Amino acid sequence: MHSWIKIIFLPTQLVRNMVMVACACAHQAATGDGAKTFVIFLSSLLQGLLMALGKGVAATASPVPRRGQRGNSCIGRKEIAQSLVAFQTRVLDQVVTQDLGKHFLSAFPHRTAGIERPMLESIFEAYLCGRIGRTHLKFLSQLGCDYYYLCMPCETGSNETLNFVNDCFMELHTAVTGLPVSSSRVLDGLVLQRDFVAYCPADGDIRMLIVTDSILPALSASGVEFIVNTQVQYQASQAWISKRTEAVMKYLQNHKVKVLLSRAKQEEMVIYYAKLSGISVVHCLSPEEVSLLCRITGISPFRYWDNIHSEITETATAKFCRPILLGSKRYVHLGFSGTSAFRPHCVILCGPVHGVTEQHASAFHGAFKMLQLLFKAVDQTDRCKEKTEHPNKSSDALGCSCHSATPQKFKTEDVMHSSDKTTDQQLNVIRSERESQLTDSAMGTGENPAFVQKDLQKSLNLAVPITEIENDKFPGLTNKSPFLGETENLHLKYRHPSEIQVKGESKPVVSNQHICKVATAVAGNTSTEVVPRHLSTIKDCWKESSELVPFEDESSYKSSVQNYSDLFIQAGSVLPVGGNFEILLHYYLCNYAKQCQQSKISIISTVIADALLSIPEILYRTERGSGFPKFYLEAISALRNNQPLPRPQKGLESVYCKYLLVASVLHCVTKLLSVDLIIGIKRLPQITEANDSEEDL
Amino acid sequence: MSRIEAKKPSLCTSAPLTKDTVSHSMSVLSGILKSCYGPTGRLKQLHNGMGGYVRTTSQSSTLLSGLSATHPILKVLTASVQNHVSRFSDCGLFAAILCCNLLENFQRIKLLPCTVAKISRHLLSLCTDYLKSEACACRILVDFNSIETLLCLVRSVLTSKPACMLNKTEADYIGILVIKAFLLTVPNNVETNVALGKCIIVPVKNKRVMDSTVFPGLLIEIPELQMARTFPIRRVSSSSIKIALFCISLSGDHSSTGEGTVVVHHGVSLELAELDQLLNLGKQLVNDQVGLVVCQKVIHPSLKQYLKEHHIIAVDRVGLSVMEPLSQMTGSKPIAAIYSLSPSCYGILKDLRTENFVSKHFLHLIPNDTLVCSLILCNRNETAWDELKVACQTAEHVLQLTVKQPLALLGGGCTETHLASYVKYEVFNLPTSTFESLDCSQAQYQLVADAFCHSLESIACCLEHDNGEILTDAVYGHFWSIPSGFPSDATWSDLVSKCGCGMHSNQQKLKWMVLRNQHSPFTPQSCCKDPCVKSPDLRALDCFVAKFSGLQVAVETANLILDLSYIIEDQN
Repeated sequence: MHSWIKIIFLPTQLVRNMVMVACACAHQAATGDGAKTFVIFLSSLLQGLLMALGKGVAATASPVPRRGQRGNSCIGRKEIAQSLVAFQTRVLDQVVTQDLGKHFLSAFPHRTAGIERPMLESIFEAYLCGRIGRTHLKFLSQLGCDYYYLCMPCETGSNETLNFVNDCFMELHTAVTGLPVSSSRVLDGLVLQRDFVAYCPADGDIRMLIVTDSILPALSASGVEFIVNTQVQYQASQAWISKRTEAVMKYLQNHKVKVLLSRAKQEEMVIYYAKLSGISVVHCLSPEEVSLLCRITGISPFRYWDNIHSEITETATAKFCRPILLGSKRYVHLGFSGTSAFRPHCVILCGPVHGVTEQHASAFHGAFKMLQLLFKAVDQTDRCKEKTEHPNKSSDALGCSCHSATPQKFKTEDVMHSSDKTTDQQLNVIRSERESQLTDSAMGTGENPAFVQKDLQKSLNLAVPITEIENDKFPGLTNKSPFLGETENLHLKYRHPSEIQVKGESKPVVSNQHICKVATAVAGNTSTEVVPRHLSTIKDCWKESSELVPFEDESSYKSSVQNYSDLFIQAGSVLPVGGNFEILLHYYLCNYAKQCQQSKISIISTVIADALLSIPEILYRTERGSGFPKFYLEAISALRNNQPLPRPQKGLESVYCKYLLVASVLHCVTKLLSVDLIIGIKRLPQITEANDSEEDL
Repeated sequence: MSRIEAKKPSLCTSAPLTKDTVSHSMSVLSGILKSCYGPTGRLKQLHNGMGGYVRTTSQSSTLLSGLSATHPILKVLTASVQNHVSRFSDCGLFAAILCCNLLENFQRIKLLPCTVAKISRHLLSLCTDYLKSEACACRILVDFNSIETLLCLVRSVLTSKPACMLNKTEADYIGILVIKAFLLTVPNNVETNVALGKCIIVPVKNKRVMDSTVFPGLLIEIPELQMARTFPIRRVSSSSIKIALFCISLSGDHSSTGEGTVVVHHGVSLELAELDQLLNLGKQLVNDQVGLVVCQKVIHPSLKQYLKEHHIIAVDRVGLSVMEPLSQMTGSKPIAAIYSLSPSCYGILKDLRTENFVSKHFLHLIPNDTLVCSLILCNRNETAWDELKVACQTAEHVLQLTVKQPLALLGGGCTETHLASYVKYEVFNLPTSTFESLDCSQAQYQLVADAFCHSLESIACCLEHDNGEILTDAVYGHFWSIPSGFPSDATWSDLVSKCGCGMHSNQQKLKWMVLRNQHSPFTPQSCCKDPCVKSPDLRALDCFVAKFSGLQVAVETANLILDLSYIIEDQN
């Protein structure tokens, strides 16, 4: 799998679609949401990229691929694929954390307490409205909230509960057809989708035992031979089996076991003796149900039948155990006091037909998956640790690639400051933002980055290293693809200092902007004096420890650093629904593209930024004819004037899910673009058994 | 598998409801269902072109399981109605026709499906709130002390199934039997957890309906040969017979030997060993003074013979279905072992008799506490018997549902017309804030409400199949029908005699009007202040729970179908 991954499969034109669908499904499975957005975004991104390819991204890039021209076209595509990877780790993460970060709302307004009900409701509603019809939206959101709060033991970690619900959701819900949706409800305890084979009513606390195998002793076990010598011996052994089963049940009765939950099917005789001993029996439970029961009760299945005189330790206590009639079927209803992570409740989903209950169940499950991601804090340092394996080696590699390349304007001494690039980059961002406000060119600047670049370089010597590195990257990486991953990790890791600057919102940025402005206008030496001081500080700090130290002369950063330095996206970060995330990302990516001197990254940023708009475009198109342009203009002007975004809907959605969506679409595009040729074959690539297939074909 | 086949792409249909084929098959289905509705509904014959059994029916459960709907939209509709019927037994046709009517009328008004869904849900909540409220004028409290209301409820179920071929006396007779059978399944001692017993229907075909009868206890069919030789039997006392109930086979076959192998030495016969044990069991049964042995599976002939010699009646192969009622009514626990039987697993019977019915012979097990009864159901031919059986089961289920919630709705179309006039009146007086909260205009709301009321009225009109005229009155909003061919100069008050449910007659000075014409909304009034009316003339009542749920299911399913903008079918 060096540079071209070849996908070999039968119907050629479907392969791309299949890859897309597979990626979308994988994304949906992981986050519980976003399959539709995935496809919309992906298709408009691909269109955008093909258009960009057509125009010619770089001088080396070839025109749009056609049949017979694959050999040429793949170079351009491959470069795009690689710059997409670079974009994700270098630009996307930064923009999401830094620029979008200030727009995030928190689902936990009071840090210690859990999420409040109106907040949770609006998150549920926003999620469910894409998955189920509007008719039952309100009702199911309420049901979801009820379920969340009922399952949640007070004041403890919600993530554990959510993990539990997500793992066991198939067992925690019961679908009932033939009843209106409004009959759906949350029940205390668990519903096992079996009926009692023996039911003996019992009150008070009920001791129960879980078994996995049949209790009835057999004449012979596997691999054992049972020899019958006489009739009497045979009769005696039959009688012993009966007596033994009776004794086991008496033993359970003596230990006050009232309910026997079994995974295996139990023989008639076992059920008979259980009934005589006043023990209720439920058998043929699924392995998942058994594991859920074990998790809730904290016991493990009972196996020690050899010694039926010892104390039974593996019992759990149920609050109640009774049959329940749901629809036209009878199930077992068990009540538990629960664990510290989960108060057992189950949800009954009713609907007129099976399809409706299924849809509601999957939407419900997805909502809890989404909550799980929402409540997870995304740690940047963790991500770095996972990714970066050889940081030193990678920095060497970077140096190498930079040196070996032949850029137009290359300054060797600045490469030594490769770690400073983010700081400079930041300056560029701010400056270009400023510029764009001055020139009032909202979208068009993406096409003339050269102007900005030139301007910048005239004014700031510092700006050079970034651009050079970025320029080098493509030739360098196509030649030395093994270094690809590491190079990115390096950038990622070195991004911390830059965060420091951006997080300080008000004063410092202004001062920097001021500096930039001055720098642009005067093109004097002041800025070069100011910035190296910063750089050296950062460098020193970085060498001493991986902890981030704020700038000595700008104490106002301190608090923001402490707030944001170790978190990439905070737990519970949400944004209003209705394309807010997309608009914000679009806006900041455009800004980035305007200041970015590297043409490929700049173009890719613009393409992605434009593709992002396809999502709000669809969202607003369905409502009224001119919905989207109006929304777009309002949103962009609000952003320019630092006003809050328009918010036509009151739902909220998880930022992390949205971020994951963009990241996985980029990943998928990369995957698609790195395939240059599809070969149709008539069987699966790996056939281990060739005996019958040879004849068949 | 080593070979793979190219997958066919899925078939995607957009806006399925607007397609001709769909609307055509929808109207065919709706036509079939509508023509079956009510006591004068037309019958349908279901038969396979290959020959075989022909079923004559007008019931939704039989019809829908017999019709094979192929289009996904029809499947949703039929599945939803079938699910309703499996839960409530009754009001299947009501739900299905209402759903068809709603679909038809909502499509006609050409609003966005989500707007229609929002408004119709609001209308539905108006209806359900009203039906649940004390002020509801179309429901009555069911008094279990009077047989009149119960009989009316049961008779409505029976007469709405004309394929049962019952005349009025027969319907009354069967109705009484069903109520009797139901009362027998109610336990004598009511504790906290009341569990109703079971009524077992025993088929006797090709006999008059009036020969049907109900027995407390259980009837088990036995061959004639066995009859003569069994009596007298062993009794513990004059009024108690011990019964042993086996759920395992007593045939002497080997029980399972486990996963390993069993090696039998030459000269050792396992069959003999098993039989030996069976006879030991017989001995114990004799010692324990058991009078009757019932086995779900097979009893070994030698054991049978042994038991007979000791005046114990042995009945085998009774099947799983009677095991639970048997154990319930005798208090015995089904035995699954042949060693050391515990005395606590035997049950007690009050008496044991034989009954002859036509050419069939039954053992009649009479328990102390009747929780179980047997309904011998007769009808002239097989298909009419099948229909009657389902009707009786429905009636029994309706009674069970009514015990849980002792309410009934006025039948004969009166609930529908009353509800329609109630909705019309409510909509007329809705505050404007309602429209704002629903995010729709008053005109939109009015359109949907008209379609909704029209659907309700249409279902009432389906009761009339002979081109008669349907009227409603401007006071109670009840349903009145007049036969076709009336003289043009006659006044309506001369033509009408009684409303659909029989609560009102033409004696009252009411103002009648044609049902589906536009008329100004009025408050439908409650007929009398006493909610527990005992009008002896009450003609028809419907099960409250079933109709209530049927209404909800119909509206929900209609909204669901309207909301479908694509159908994607996997063709693989």
